[in-house]
Amino acid sequence: MVTRAWPLMRFLIKGSVAGGAVYLVYDQELLGPSDKSEAALRKAEEIVPPAMYQFGQYVCQQTGLQMPQLPEPPKLNFPVREFWNSGIITVMSALSMAPTKACEYSKEGWEYLKEHAK
Amino acid sequence: MSETDLGRKWDRCMADAVVKLGTGFGLGIVFSLTFFKRRMWPIAFGTGMGLGMAYSNCQNDFQAPYLLHGKYVKEQ
Repeated sequence: MVTRAWPLMRFLIKGSVAGGAVYLVYDQELLGPSDKSEAALRKAEEIVPPAMYQFGQYVCQQTGLQMPQLPEPPKLNFPVREFWNSGIITVMSALSMAPTKACEYSKEGWEYLKEHAK
Repeated sequence: MSETDLGRKWDRCMADAVVKLGTGFGLGIVFSLTFFKRRMWPIAFGTGMGLGMAYSNCQNDFQAPYLLHGKYVKEQ
């Protein structure tokens, strides 16, 4: 009786796991508009680190192990947008000046060769 | 569109892309483990769907610059 019902039970368990995952995604509107996704990400950023810390503390209490105090990760203050913008401006100004500079340098080089050829 | 609005849109796009990619990947893993005998294609399919939805949202956001993103405040 159990062996006959086992495939059905397995299907129901798998179905409920998959259905629960789909329902969670639908309920949290993770695949909806970008505002909702952004809000969900902010909520996760607030909830997950303290939850991980509390879980770590619980595991330490239960097992008696001492978790080493890790140093805080360095806070990077790298303004990507500003560096990108200034990089683009530098590259474009260099490209716009390139023909003029090439003319000047080739003229100077030619004068130099003429003087040394005399 | 001002620089700050553009920056905010890009931030929203990146956050949306991360969430949708992760959700698609996660759903792909769940379905791969439950129904599709640990094959790779549901994971790839889910990830691709998530990425496509994020790209579509970003495209609509950038091409409709006069739509304001507001919050609905319930009456108290």
